[in-house]
Amino acid sequence: MEITKTQNGTELELALEGRLDTVTSPELEAELDKLEGVEKIVINTAKLEYISSAGLRVLLSTQKRMDRKGGSMTIRNVNEEIKEIFEVTGFDEILTLEA
Amino acid sequence: MRFRANLTAQILSGVVIVLAVLCGVVSFIGYSEFTEALELQYESKSFNMARTAATYITPGFLSATDRMSANWRFRYDIIQKEWQRLADTQDATFIYLYRRLDEEYNTYDRFEVLISVMNASAPYMVFSSGIIINDMPDVYEPAYSSLYEDGADRAVVPVYRDEFSEDEYKSGDHITVLLPIRDSQGRVLAVLGVEQQMKALQNARSTYVRHVFLATGVFLIVVLLGYGLYLKHGLLNPIRRIAEEAQRFARENTRPFVPLSQSIRLSNEIGQLAQTIDRMETDIRSYIEDLTRATREKEQIKAELHVARKIQADMLPREFPPFPDRKEFEIFATMTPAKEVGGDFYDFFFTDRDHLALVIADVSGKGVPAALFMVIAKTLIKDRAQMGGTPSEILDAVNNRLCDGNSEGFFVTVWLGILEVSTGKLTSANAGHEYPVIKRAGGMWELIKDNHSPAVAVRSGLKFRENSLELRPGDSLYLYTDGVAEATNAENDLYGTDNMTAALNRHPDEPMEELLVSMKREVDTFVGDAPQFDDITMMGLQYWGQ
Repeated sequence: MEITKTQNGTELELALEGRLDTVTSPELEAELDKLEGVEKIVINTAKLEYISSAGLRVLLSTQKRMDRKGGSMTIRNVNEEIKEIFEVTGFDEILTLEA
Repeated sequence: MRFRANLTAQILSGVVIVLAVLCGVVSFIGYSEFTEALELQYESKSFNMARTAATYITPGFLSATDRMSANWRFRYDIIQKEWQRLADTQDATFIYLYRRLDEEYNTYDRFEVLISVMNASAPYMVFSSGIIINDMPDVYEPAYSSLYEDGADRAVVPVYRDEFSEDEYKSGDHITVLLPIRDSQGRVLAVLGVEQQMKALQNARSTYVRHVFLATGVFLIVVLLGYGLYLKHGLLNPIRRIAEEAQRFARENTRPFVPLSQSIRLSNEIGQLAQTIDRMETDIRSYIEDLTRATREKEQIKAELHVARKIQADMLPREFPPFPDRKEFEIFATMTPAKEVGGDFYDFFFTDRDHLALVIADVSGKGVPAALFMVIAKTLIKDRAQMGGTPSEILDAVNNRLCDGNSEGFFVTVWLGILEVSTGKLTSANAGHEYPVIKRAGGMWELIKDNHSPAVAVRSGLKFRENSLELRPGDSLYLYTDGVAEATNAENDLYGTDNMTAALNRHPDEPMEELLVSMKREVDTFVGDAPQFDDITMMGLQYWGQ
């Protein structure tokens, strides 16, 4: 998986490409661990092919952290495959998704 | 030891060559200087004798035509007497007066002896007056030529004989000084020669050469002994000790009894080498110890994980058939963890005589953390389910409990169903789990797209939606985790639910136990050589009714 990071003031955008699974989700978790001064996170999933439960866990724990500090997290450019995974797991109700 | 012998020979042979060359150069320079100095001394002595001898020669003596006259004889006797005295007292070998013949041919071969004397040491026969010398040796020619043609006032001819030749006529080294006797016009009338044996030079030189060789030889031996001793103690022994220690360490891999830097106390590169080897040995030893410890710990963790896997497996019902006295249904389940311990689990149990709870779940993540969360989730679900209530009530409660202190963001997808065995009524809640698959009696396997809710432990206060359907005798239910639906082959293709239902339909009439084995084989065939990333868990139920 490839992570492209763009920081714009307090907004951090991470574009994910490839598969977010057990093997690759620790990379994303490491990126999301350093969130000094970030108030808004945008995860761009336009080129994401697959997301496993380990990947969902990273998104969920980040969502919870942002909720606690009053920030926000948005999943942007959710394609059909990823949308189906979010729906099956019920994450579409927990996360903020943008088409 | 071959290494040591070679090194010594190499270093010492270098020293021998350098000293031998030095000795040769010193000998040559000394020999030349010595020769030159003595030669000059002989030359000036001979020259003085020649000048003294010349004072006895009068112009009349040379110009006289009648050599039988009393006057001439008188002069001849005086000269011979004085010269003889000169030769005897001044150690001149040979004093002579020659007149050149055949001047018109421009040669220096023939001379007439006018007068000559020799002392006792001379190795020649006396030339009497009037004798013609027909073959003057070539070595004198340049000297005569310089007197006759260049107007030189003297000429010197040193003659060195090869010291090692076997020449019978060996006259030894000698020097000849030639003095021209000229008339008033400067023409050379005759040449006066004084020859002296350079015995002192000859002796001194051979002594000198002998001494130089002797001294150099002694010096060489002393230097070799001293240098060899120095090499042995200052270089070779330490290097040998270092080499032996390195070999010993390579063989035994243990710290030395006495460190090298303590037995070799040198401040040069050898001392540094000894220290470096000491440090290297210490480092390697500690690396080995670290590695051994790490390996032991790893083995221990592996053994503990193995036990954990067994404990986890023992937590799941594994005896089939689990309820031998219940003929209304058949149930079978399997779990294959991807790692030693996994996050998947299944469960089934009666909450009362008529209600069978079915659970299949998948904790996010894998390994020990997921396994710990799985244990809590499984225990909470079973405890709560046995208190009674609908699937959604059960999951609502479990969700709130699991959300407490879940800072790591773990969640678990759960499909929970409660089957009323007597009627076949199945109520269920799907908390973010895969769709169940159903096969009506005589029909095909197909997904049930039931109402979904978020996974358990995602957020507290969630309400879980409920589904219900009715199982009729002969119907079957297949439950699974994403280890099946999202199995991935080497080309990163997902297995998918379409492949899965197609595979199920390839085995339409198999009993549950055989069906699950077949499905595992189907998944394995699809995955091929790719590693198994996810736990693979399946549960199947066939309903027979009353």
